[in-house]
Amino acid sequence: MTRDEETFLNLIKAHQGLIHKVCIMYENDRERRNDLFQEIVLQLWKSFPGFRGDSKITTWMYRIALNTAISGYRKQSRDIPTEDLHEAHHNIGDHHDGAGNEEDLQRLQWAIRQLSEIERAMIMMALDEIPYEEIAETMGITQNNVRVRMNRIREKLRKLLGA
Amino acid sequence: MEIEDLRNLWKRQATGFEPHDEAQLAAMIRRSSSGIVSRLKRSVWFELAFTIVAGIALLVYALTLPSGGLKWISIAIIITFFGYCVYYIKKLALLHKFDRGDSDINANLTRLIASLKSYLRFYRRSYTVLYPVYFILGLLFGALERNFDAFYARITQPSVAITLLGTALLLFVAGTWFTRWYLRKLYGNHLERLENLLRDLNQD
Repeated sequence: MTRDEETFLNLIKAHQGLIHKVCIMYENDRERRNDLFQEIVLQLWKSFPGFRGDSKITTWMYRIALNTAISGYRKQSRDIPTEDLHEAHHNIGDHHDGAGNEEDLQRLQWAIRQLSEIERAMIMMALDEIPYEEIAETMGITQNNVRVRMNRIREKLRKLLGA
Repeated sequence: MEIEDLRNLWKRQATGFEPHDEAQLAAMIRRSSSGIVSRLKRSVWFELAFTIVAGIALLVYALTLPSGGLKWISIAIIITFFGYCVYYIKKLALLHKFDRGDSDINANLTRLIASLKSYLRFYRRSYTVLYPVYFILGLLFGALERNFDAFYARITQPSVAITLLGTALLLFVAGTWFTRWYLRKLYGNHLERLENLLRDLNQD
């Protein structure tokens, strides 16, 4: 194993949660999530020589992962089935036990999946505490545009989660 | 519900998956990409290699032939193969433009849309050129099969010439229509999806 490979693999090992989150948000099926995970790792590896540390490693990873997930060609429709969580009889934060937290997480994931692919990318980064400046840089839009879009996304999520 | 509540929830999902170990990750970077562009590239490389090998084999065979109809047919096929090689190389160059996904999402989508459009345009134009080439080759083979003078005398008869031109026109229109339909079926939805994504990204 070369030194570059070792450095790269350590980076991926440390940040693979980010890739998993992208896969969960963009693919519904387990097998296709695995395929997407592998494809993202491969694309990151191909782009790794060009990474000069100008941006944070997570920003760089998000950029490659989201580009792969969003613009990758898929033969079948990637519309995620909208399982009817609207009917669930609780809102986020209604309970404080472990099972409730798990349910809350699933509701949050469901709500994010209802957003457009672009909105999903933005909220994911915002939830991972990526600053607006870096979100704007990753998306290729202005910070002002990010602010406006984030307000709309928050409003949509509020409605979807009934909070 | 504030963004902070959502963040706390969001952070917890990082523990909800089975992490890959170093050996699994190392295996991933050694695999070939399963993306459509990589698969297309592999298929074009295969077709290019096959065309070159078949072309060389045919050339060697043609050199052993005495001058005559079969030799000219072989040469015409070799010339067509050469045209195909140029076509495959141009196709690879266009597919190469699909790579480099390390720019921002807006720039990446813009580049992908432009690349896909130019790829489809090239595909369409190539087939538009190819149908008349096949037609002319068909005529050439017909002329070589029969006696050239007899063939010429036959195709210059008004009824034969009109039937021939009508068939050529029909084949050209049907072929062009089929190519457009096939490309739209293969890539149309993807192109539309990319354009919608870009529109969504740039909306105020």
